[in-house]
Formats: sequence, C-alpha cells, structure tokens
Amino acid sequence: MRGGAIPVLAWACLLAVLMTGNAVWTGDAIQIGEYGFAVLTIVLVAAALVRADRTAIRRGAPEAPSRPRVEASPDLSFAAVLAAIALASILFGLTWAYFLVYFGAGLLIMSLGRLALELQAARASRERFERGSPPERPERERLP
Amino acid sequence: MSATAPSVSTVSRASGLFGAAASTDHKRIGLNMGLASLLFFLGAGVMALLMRTQLAQPHVRFVSDQTYNELFTMHGSTMIFLFVTPMAMALATYLVPLQIGASSISAPRLALSAFWIWLSGGIIMQLGWLTEEGAGRSGWFAYVPLSNSANTPGVGQDLWTVGVILAAGGLTIIGGCVLATIARRRAPGMSMMRMPVFTWTGLVSVLMVVGSFPVVILAMSLLYAERLGARVFIGYSGAIDYQDLFWFFGHPVVYVMFFPFLGAAAEAIAVNAHKRWFGYAAFVASMLAFAALSMSVWSHHMFTTGGVTNQYFATTSTALAVPAGIEYFDMVATLIGGAILLRTSMLFALGFFLQFLIGGLSGIFVASPVLDYHAEDSYIVVGHFHYTLFAGSVFGFFAGVYHWFPKVTGARLREGLGKLHFVLLLVGTNMTFLPMFFLGNDGMPRRIAEYPNHPGWGTLNLLETVGAGVIALGVLAFLVNVVVSLRNREVAGEDPWLGHTLEWATSSPPPRHNFERPLPPITSYAPLLDLRERAQRDASAVRVPAGRGGRGPWPQEGAP
Ligand code: HEM
Ligand SMILES: [Cu+2]
Repeated sequence: MRGGAIPVLAWACLLAVLMTGNAVWTGDAIQIGEYGFAVLTIVLVAAALVRADRTAIRRGAPEAPSRPRVEASPDLSFAAVLAAIALASILFGLTWAYFLVYFGAGLLIMSLGRLALELQAARASRERFERGSPPERPERERLP
Repeated sequence: MSATAPSVSTVSRASGLFGAAASTDHKRIGLNMGLASLLFFLGAGVMALLMRTQLAQPHVRFVSDQTYNELFTMHGSTMIFLFVTPMAMALATYLVPLQIGASSISAPRLALSAFWIWLSGGIIMQLGWLTEEGAGRSGWFAYVPLSNSANTPGVGQDLWTVGVILAAGGLTIIGGCVLATIARRRAPGMSMMRMPVFTWTGLVSVLMVVGSFPVVILAMSLLYAERLGARVFIGYSGAIDYQDLFWFFGHPVVYVMFFPFLGAAAEAIAVNAHKRWFGYAAFVASMLAFAALSMSVWSHHMFTTGGVTNQYFATTSTALAVPAGIEYFDMVATLIGGAILLRTSMLFALGFFLQFLIGGLSGIFVASPVLDYHAEDSYIVVGHFHYTLFAGSVFGFFAGVYHWFPKVTGARLREGLGKLHFVLLLVGTNMTFLPMFFLGNDGMPRRIAEYPNHPGWGTLNLLETVGAGVIALGVLAFLVNVVVSLRNREVAGEDPWLGHTLEWATSSPPPRHNFERPLPPITSYAPLLDLRERAQRDASAVRVPAGRGGRGPWPQEGAP
C-alpha cells in the first residue's frame, strides 16, 4: 500500500547512521552484532513491504481500489489459541514437568490440523461469496 | 482493505467465554490484553505495598531478605513485562486499526496467538511463587553471574526466564501485526502524514519492538542454557556481554512504555483543548529520531561497569533531550489559545507531561557518567524510573482510559470519581517517589530490605509508605468508578468529546468490522475536526453568531 514502507526505511537509515557512530566509537563486536541485527531486521521489513506492493515506497495516500478486494476474515480461531498454549507447555515442560513437552508437541500438531481446516473453510466461503451467494454461517457446516 | 472492501465473516460472531477467548477481532484481543495487564498491575501493586510495609521504618522484619528479593524482582518484572509494555501494545492493537480506518488487524490469527503466548508467559512467571525456592529473585534484569544456577538455584528463576521468553515473544509478534496493519491496511486517503498522533507513537513503538525484543529472547535463552549448565557468560567479559544483550532490549522497552502513553495524552490534550495537535510534521520527525536515538543509548545502564564506551552513550543519551523538548513544545503550543476543558482525561494528560518532566530531567543527570557514579544503585535511580513509569506512563494510560472508555464500552466514566482518582494518585505519587531522590542522594542503596537508622531516613521512608497507601486508594477509586459507570450507564454515543480522529466516526463500541458507514473524507490527521471546521465556515458565511464569549467558534458539547 502506498507509503507504507517509507517511514520504515527512513527509520532504518537513522539507525544505520547511529550504528555507524557506535561501530566507529566503540568497536565492540557484541554491540555491532546486535545493532546490526536490528538495522537488518528493519531493512528486511521495509523490503518485504515493497515486495508485497511496489507502491509502498511511493509517497501519497492509498487510493480506493478499483474493484473491492474480498478477503475472508475469521471471527474465531481455536487453532491460534491451541498453538500458543502448545508452545507455552513445551517451554513450561522443559523447566517443570517433562511430560508437558510431549503434551505440547501433540497439541501443536493438532493446532496445525485445525489451522488447515480453518483456512480451507475460509477459502470456500470466499469463493462462494465471489460466485455471488453470500453464505450463511458457512463454517458451521464443517467445524463444530 | 478498509471500509471500501467488504469482508466475509466465515463464522457468525461468537459470544460467551470461548468467543471472547478465541476471537480474532483486534478490539477483543486488545481488550483481553489490556484487562489481563490490569490484573497483573494490581498484583504487582500488592507486591509494592508489601515492600513499602517492610521499608516503612528502619529494622522492620515484615518479610525475610529472600522474600524481599523476590518481591522487588517480581514487582519490577511484572510491571514491565506484564503491565506497562503489554498495555502499550493493547492500546495500539485496539486503536490503531480504528484510527487508520481499517476493518481489521493484519494477520489476526497471529495476533490472537501472540496474546495467548504472552499471557502464558505471565502466568508461568508467577507460578514461581508456588515453588519451594520461591519466585525469580535476581532483579528484573537478572544479571549473570547472580542469576546463574549456582547463585540463584531453584525452579522459580527458571520459570521467570521462560516466562520472559514467552512474554517478549508474544509482544514481538503482536507488535509485528500492528506494524503490518499500519503499512498495509490504511483507508483510502490515509497517507502516512495523515495518521493520527497516537498511531504515529504506536508505529515508532512497534518498530522498536521488532528491532530490539528478539535480542532479549536471545539473552534469556542463553541465560536458560547457562542455568542448565552450559558455560555461556564466562567471567567479567561474560557478565558485560549479558548486560549488553539485555539492555539492547532494556532501554528501548522503556520507550515502548512511554510513546503510546505520550500519544494517548496528546490525543486527550488536543481534544480537550479543541485544537489540533500543534506542529504535526515536527512531531513525526522527532518521534522517528527519538525512537532511533533510544535504540542507541542502552549502555548508559552500564556506565559504572567500566566495560563500555561511556562517551558514545553519554552523547546519545543527552541528545534525547532534543526530541523530548519538541514534544513538550508541541504540547504547550497546543494548549495556548485552546478552549480548555479540564476533564479527568485532560488532568491525567497534563499530569503525565508535568511529572514526566521530573523523570526526564532526573534522566539527564543519570545520563552523565560522572553523576551516575554517584546515583547508580541508589534510590535516585528508583525515583527516576518511577517518575517516568508511574508518574509518567501510568498517568498517560489513565488519560487514555478516561478518553477512550466511552468508545470501548459505550458508557462514560464518572467525572467526580475520576477527579478523586486523579487527586489521590497525584498526591500519592509525589509522596511516594519524590523522597526517593533525597534518600538516594543521601546514600540509601536500592534493593535493600533493611536500612540503618540515619537521621531523616525513617521519616522519609514512612512518608513514602503512606504515599503508596494513597496510591492504592486512588486505584480503588478508579475500580469503583469503572463498576459504577458500567452498572449505571451514562450513554456516551458515538463521539462524546468532539473527537478528531476516525475512531469517533463509528458506534461505541465499534461493530465487528469497525465501520458500517462510509468513512468521512480523510484530509489531515484530524479528519473529524476538519469536517466540523468546514461546516463552521459554511455556516458563518451565512451568519456569524454573536455573544459567544471567549470560548471560540466550535460547536459546544452538552457534556462536562
Ligand atoms: C504502585 C506504585 C509503586 C510503588 C509503591 C513502587 C515501589 C517500588 C519499590 C519499593 C521498589 C523496590 C526498590 C528497591 O528495593 O530497589 C520498586 C522497584 C521497581 N519498580 Fe516499582 N513501584 C510502583 C509502581 C511501579 C510501576 C508502575 C512500574 C512500571 C514499570 C514499576 C517498576 C519498578 C521496577 C522496574 C523496579 C526495579 C526492580 C528491580 O530492582 O529489579 N514500579 N518499586
Ligand atoms: Cu535507559
């Protein structure tokens, strides 16, 4: 989208200048390493934005799209919640009760399966919408 | 894409506990994160009261030394990782899509996951209280070698480390979602230079989150490995390396805990002064510079270690005063000539700016290595950062709460109780934290559970403890206000304050996809103010109303 990458890139430039000062003045490997990581991350964010949409680097306001873009937006996602809890139980299991690592790993696999179902349902409902029949509670049919 | 693109709901809007827990609506996620942060705030506040009880007089034996260590560690960590930083992200998650006219947040599933990852981290950190050796107890920055398994044995410190990894991970992810939303989901017409002030403060905050939070995840992972027996941070240079990694996150995070609340206070001031925020372009430029500088000052926390190049960090730290000065200039210029209404949100916003000044000015002192040799590890430092975090950010947070509560709930908070809340907090804050500068200057070290009976120390410490109690009363007044206002609702309507930004152009609370009517034309960073001013111009071309007194030519509200 128009302009989205400009402040990110501008900020990356500011950081790069300050980092150069740090590198010259301190010459400290760890400091240069971590600061370099930060600058690189921000540059990569800007690059990803431009890659996704070339106008992201052009000034000006986003224009109204000529044709409304349709996107399926989920209202609920149990996959997302499960994945988070799976990750937490793996790390918790490492410190406290080791069996939780296995539990978390199982949960993670389940959540990925669930995510696949959710994405499939979202795609189906978008396609139905584009064919002109707005669906009534489409996921209900498939996901309890 | 924003309001012009219809989006399809794939499941009907769910209600109930499951619906609230698994909703991908950015408003629900933001609200959940905010409410959970508030609970953590209350918990950390209780820890603070326990510490203040212990410190009320010299030689009180209320808690053991070990418990005191746990208390200050968990109080600080909870306040930072589980209250102020996530609250900043929660505000951004809730408000940014509304302010830029978007119908939803980017990657909503990821944002939902981020909330749960962060919350799990918070709970895991607190579980340390239930372990035999107690909760984390090597300070909120857990310096090695103090935090290694030889010096701080026990599961509690492990849980603390894992909790920080998860909390920081969740915050990084949700910051990324906000960043993507700003870059990719603005409404037609919403150029970067028309984004509201709060959104800009949110943008620079999430840039810092994305650039610096991964480093603390690395630091904590290495600390975890160290605790498991790997030799990662060896000797003096290892200790310095750890500090370098920690503070590369640790300083930026204090600005993540500042900018969004600055944005909230700025919005409250502009709306309550019935003027647009002054000096927008300079403000935006100074925010970018501010954020970049604050990525470059981290080793000012290590001046006295002898392990870093103090000159570079003293220079960058002192330079912070320049963008900070621009913010203050903009604030004052916004007030000048405004028709100022002293609502509770305005009082808190002014409190934020005035008290943060004390925090900021004391910051210039400790940014000087020479003076910092005197201040380091004394109560001067504790006073400094509580003036920035409590007297600053928390006041800005409450300005935001009184400002946006009607938008979020559809009901206004009571003004009378709000002003009581403000006065109690103002008095309590200064009673608690101002004496710290004198005690610190007089040599009282931080992180001690007991102190000698020096002349004056008992009195000043007692004053602080009483002040902490007054703060607690203030927070109580706030909670009562919330309950009363939600039980006995004064309906707010869409736009109770004559707001400037797009969140006031939709119902309260906003519908699932934020805007059901077409957005007003986005002509500047205050589109609703533009609309009113244009209507005013058109009307005054016909007839100029006389005798309005000094209040200026804007429409008058019915409300206090
Ligand atoms: C409710 C009012 C508060 C009171 C009465 C209070 C009181 C205290 C006390 C007594 C200490 C211990 C000082 C020491 O022994 O060195 C402390 C430490 C600390 N507080 Fe607060 N505090 C409050 C609010 C906050 C808030 C809102 C924050 C926000 C982030 C915060 C962050 C910290 C930090 C980071 C530490 C340092 C912990 C450490 O040394 O590792 N406090 N506070
Ligand atoms: Cu700092």
